[in-house]
Amino acid sequence: MNEIFTIAKKEVMDNWRNKWIIAVSAIFAILTLVISYFGSMGGVGWKDLEVTIAGMITLVTLLIPIIGLMLGYASIVGEREKGSLELLLSYPVKREEVLVGKFFGLSAVMAFANFAGFGIAGVVIAMNVKGVEWSDYLIFILASILLGIVFIAIAMLMSCAFKKRSTAMGAAIFTWFLFEMIWNIIVAGILIAQYGMEKLADKNFVAPSWYYLASLINPVKAYSALVSLNVTPVSEFIGKIPSFVNTPFNLAILLAWMMGSMLLAYYLFKKKDL
Amino acid sequence: MIEAINLRKEYDGIVAVDGISFHVEKGEIFALLGPNGAGKTTTIKAILGLINYEGEIKIDGKNAKDKEIKKFIGYLPERVAFYDNLTALQTLQFFAELKRIKNIDFMALLKEVGLENDAHRKVGGFSKGMLQRLGFAQCLLGEPKLLILDEPTSGLDAIGAYEIRRKIKELNEKGVTILLSSHILSEVQELSHRVAIMNKGKFIAIDSVENLSKRFEVQPKLRIELQHPSKEIMNLVKEIKAVKDVKMDGNILEILCQPTAKLAIINAIEEAGGKIVDFKTVEPTLEEIFIKVVKEDE
Repeated sequence: MNEIFTIAKKEVMDNWRNKWIIAVSAIFAILTLVISYFGSMGGVGWKDLEVTIAGMITLVTLLIPIIGLMLGYASIVGEREKGSLELLLSYPVKREEVLVGKFFGLSAVMAFANFAGFGIAGVVIAMNVKGVEWSDYLIFILASILLGIVFIAIAMLMSCAFKKRSTAMGAAIFTWFLFEMIWNIIVAGILIAQYGMEKLADKNFVAPSWYYLASLINPVKAYSALVSLNVTPVSEFIGKIPSFVNTPFNLAILLAWMMGSMLLAYYLFKKKDL
Repeated sequence: MIEAINLRKEYDGIVAVDGISFHVEKGEIFALLGPNGAGKTTTIKAILGLINYEGEIKIDGKNAKDKEIKKFIGYLPERVAFYDNLTALQTLQFFAELKRIKNIDFMALLKEVGLENDAHRKVGGFSKGMLQRLGFAQCLLGEPKLLILDEPTSGLDAIGAYEIRRKIKELNEKGVTILLSSHILSEVQELSHRVAIMNKGKFIAIDSVENLSKRFEVQPKLRIELQHPSKEIMNLVKEIKAVKDVKMDGNILEILCQPTAKLAIINAIEEAGGKIVDFKTVEPTLEEIFIKVVKEDE
């Protein structure tokens, strides 16, 4: 455990010194404030935190995954390419400890940036509007952190799977496109092929369960659903969704991605020669 | 201290290390030599558990893969790399924490390698020589019993290299076992008790430099400076039975011969009317031994 903590601490220190944490926190704070003030719903002026969340969700689903991927893709392959991993593993530390230590450290960076960025923005908004629902905002922040951590795990898997930093980065970028665009296009395409456009355009059309399942296996969608189900003004699915699409289901999907990616990363890392 | 049995490693079907067995005694300086791709670094990586391999490696009687054994090993890789955003002091603190060593005077350690004024500078801005010095400092953390040094003086200036060699000798005198790999053969000759010459993944010779020179008949050379060199002198020396080769380079006569032939050579030069200005015996170098052994193997 000591080794995991030491490596996690080093990751935080490294990212603090290279200004990653500050940059990401600033991005979150500025975007939240801009959306809250200039957001489309209700014209210009400060909006309630809940309304801000509704405006933020699309942006967060685009931004957090890319930040998670950028934080994690070089964590192993970058050090391997540079040579520092060889030195690190010559110390009394196991590969799984290196992997978990880095994961915890990068997750801490993600959590801090989310709390600092959204927190500062939340305080500014709360100073300008009345009756702020902090619990909704906290759920939004926690879910965003979880999404970020899932993508750190996926990025670490890329980092263990590839021999070159540039290949891992390419894979990370592809992963982002996969979950942000390609996945949705494929699932929607199958739905269209099955029912046809006319039927889909029908107001009373209810999508089949497999569609929800296939959509929500995508961690980005699982995050959106998680926030939608738990934050009052964002409930886009409510009334249409199958009963299995609930908070535990979405949480389980996100956790499965995280655990699955880390286990596979460990398997690949263990086999690697330095 | 180190015992390797039938160590074998293949990379994508290419044999890097081909079933070698060797041991390194406690308190010994043991050098690994070989042309590029001979398997030296693979052997070192196997000892440190950085690669998967076939065979068995024991350090101090315990399995080398045992995590705890690494507490007693200091390693300086060929390509020293640290974390750019950490300072030299933070770097040492990080590695000391991994070894769970407390009460270290980091500044004294940095002073020992000449980096005391750079303790708070980010490692990312260090020159290759400074990185090498910091690398040497990190491998001394926790007073290791075994030091594995891959090109320890690489990137250092003459004074830096001399200081590192002096430190290696000093550590060895205190009982530290050292496994060394270097392309600077004079350095290996100066430091090591035994050398292992590798080629194509196998050991082709393991012994002390002295024994290897005897075994491979790499003989000492005489370098005689003459006041008035002549062909007559050269021919007379060539006629001596124990003389194998004679070369003339300006005023210098370079003679490859058996050590017993010295007196006969001096007499021959004087008989031919030559005047000796200077006389030196040049011992066989590791470089000569190395080249001969590798060429014979190929």
